[in-house]
Amino acid sequence: MTAVLEIEKLSKTYKQFTALDSVSLTIERGEIFALLGPNGAGKTTLIGCVCGLIKKSQGLIRVLGADIDADPVKARYNIGLVPQEINFDPFFTVRESLEIQSGYFGVPAQKDHIDSLLKALTLEDKANQTTRSLSGGMKRRLLIAKALVHKPKLVFLDEPTAGVDVELRRDLWAYVQKLREAGTTVVLTTHYLEEAEALADRVGIISKGKLTIVEEKKSLMKRLGERKLQVTFKNAVTLPEALQKEGTLTADGMTFTAIERAGSQPLADTLGRLYAAQLPVSDVSMSAAKLEDVLLRVLSGEAT
Amino acid sequence: MNLVGTRTLLSKEVRRFLRVPGQTVLQPLISTSLYFVVFGFGLGGRQHEVEGVTYISFIVPGLLFLGIANNAFMNASSSIFICKMQGTLVDLLVAPLGPLELLIGFVSGAMVRGILVGVLTWVVAMFFTGFQLVNPLTTLLFIVLTAYVFALLGFLAGIWAEKFEQVNFFPTFLMLPMTFLGGVFYSVQQLPEPWRTVSLFNPVVHMVAGLRHGMLGIEQTSWFGLALLLGAALVSTATGWWMLATGYRLKS
Repeated sequence: MTAVLEIEKLSKTYKQFTALDSVSLTIERGEIFALLGPNGAGKTTLIGCVCGLIKKSQGLIRVLGADIDADPVKARYNIGLVPQEINFDPFFTVRESLEIQSGYFGVPAQKDHIDSLLKALTLEDKANQTTRSLSGGMKRRLLIAKALVHKPKLVFLDEPTAGVDVELRRDLWAYVQKLREAGTTVVLTTHYLEEAEALADRVGIISKGKLTIVEEKKSLMKRLGERKLQVTFKNAVTLPEALQKEGTLTADGMTFTAIERAGSQPLADTLGRLYAAQLPVSDVSMSAAKLEDVLLRVLSGEAT
Repeated sequence: MNLVGTRTLLSKEVRRFLRVPGQTVLQPLISTSLYFVVFGFGLGGRQHEVEGVTYISFIVPGLLFLGIANNAFMNASSSIFICKMQGTLVDLLVAPLGPLELLIGFVSGAMVRGILVGVLTWVVAMFFTGFQLVNPLTTLLFIVLTAYVFALLGFLAGIWAEKFEQVNFFPTFLMLPMTFLGGVFYSVQQLPEPWRTVSLFNPVVHMVAGLRHGMLGIEQTSWFGLALLLGAALVSTATGWWMLATGYRLKS
């Protein structure tokens, strides 16, 4: 099966600054790929190089097998982009903006498809209003609709839900899942790691222009994720020697904390030993592994 | 070629300026009409003759040129520059629109505005001078080429500019003096030396002369004006193509 996107040794330098440093990445059809990293890591530069907004310095990019150097225009028929920066043309209405964007991609405006996008993105009642009158969140939704109006096979969502309220964010997640089910490949960058956690099949972590990790999300979470157990006692306790190695007790002897990582003692066993020691447990809380913690560990160099 | 994309861009460009007709069509039309009133009537233009025609008839081709050139230039420069400023340039760059599609879309849209203002100026002029058209083909050629060249120059200026001030640089400091000193309101032939010879280095003189030849049948320099317009069209098309193909000031 042809990969939807193939990137080989992609580099981008601005005078002395290296924004992308020999990045290689392959993205398969129908997956949701989350590209994560801190501000200025190179996420938007990578997307810009693929979408034709930024001139790459070196490397090879193929979109559905089409080399963007050999035919820069052909590859773009299959790409949709939700840019990070909100843009809108104040001369046109929401519906007109979608018709125009569809036309740019060589697709005569399809009323039914535009109607379904407007409905999916809760913009139906704004269809005939000028884009100037939309709120920030609505403008963001319009950007998403514009990126999808020509039914692209590969969609880049660069911070798609920034400034969008929680309820709508969840709706958008559901919509992205639907896109994936329909065979659309999605590359997502986001600062809401909960979003990447909910949507992504695979995760790429980029830092200082280098793609340091590309891995299945489940495998990454299993490998580098941390689960945390916190036990509060009714009164100050002293831990039995066996438990002292499994976690830490606060100085006042009231709270015990243990962390489960790949290969470490399962928290269920630790909890069992706490009860077996007949310690006066008052409350138990357990937090699941978070992508945010994984990202922080990787970026700090603690994990690779 | 992406025909649907090109047509969409052209249609968008035309609709864009038609959304604000007061600013894009009516305002330049009123300005040009005022020239007729002031120069044609106020300064006695109906009485004296220049090169065998009444003065008011003499200035019509120049004002037509002024309307076409200014509006074609302004439309193209402001449109691409606003795209850059508003960030909507992303919509165009990510779409399968190559240099050819972008040039045709932007330049044709600007040409439509330039020619629309020019034709309306002509219609207004007819109230003062009646209908005058000696060489229709020459006139059409000059109108279309003038619109094309100045639309392209505006497009190039809009791509090049990084500030609003730079967009206004060309119309204010280059086009305005060149057109006002380009024989729009007077006959260069009647200037004393050395100003007559100096004026002949101004390309606008020959472009206006060419249009005047087409409309009124006077002036002998239409071929030189045509050659200048064709040369400018060639050079500006090549420059525009290069800018779009390389992403000059459009892509980082």
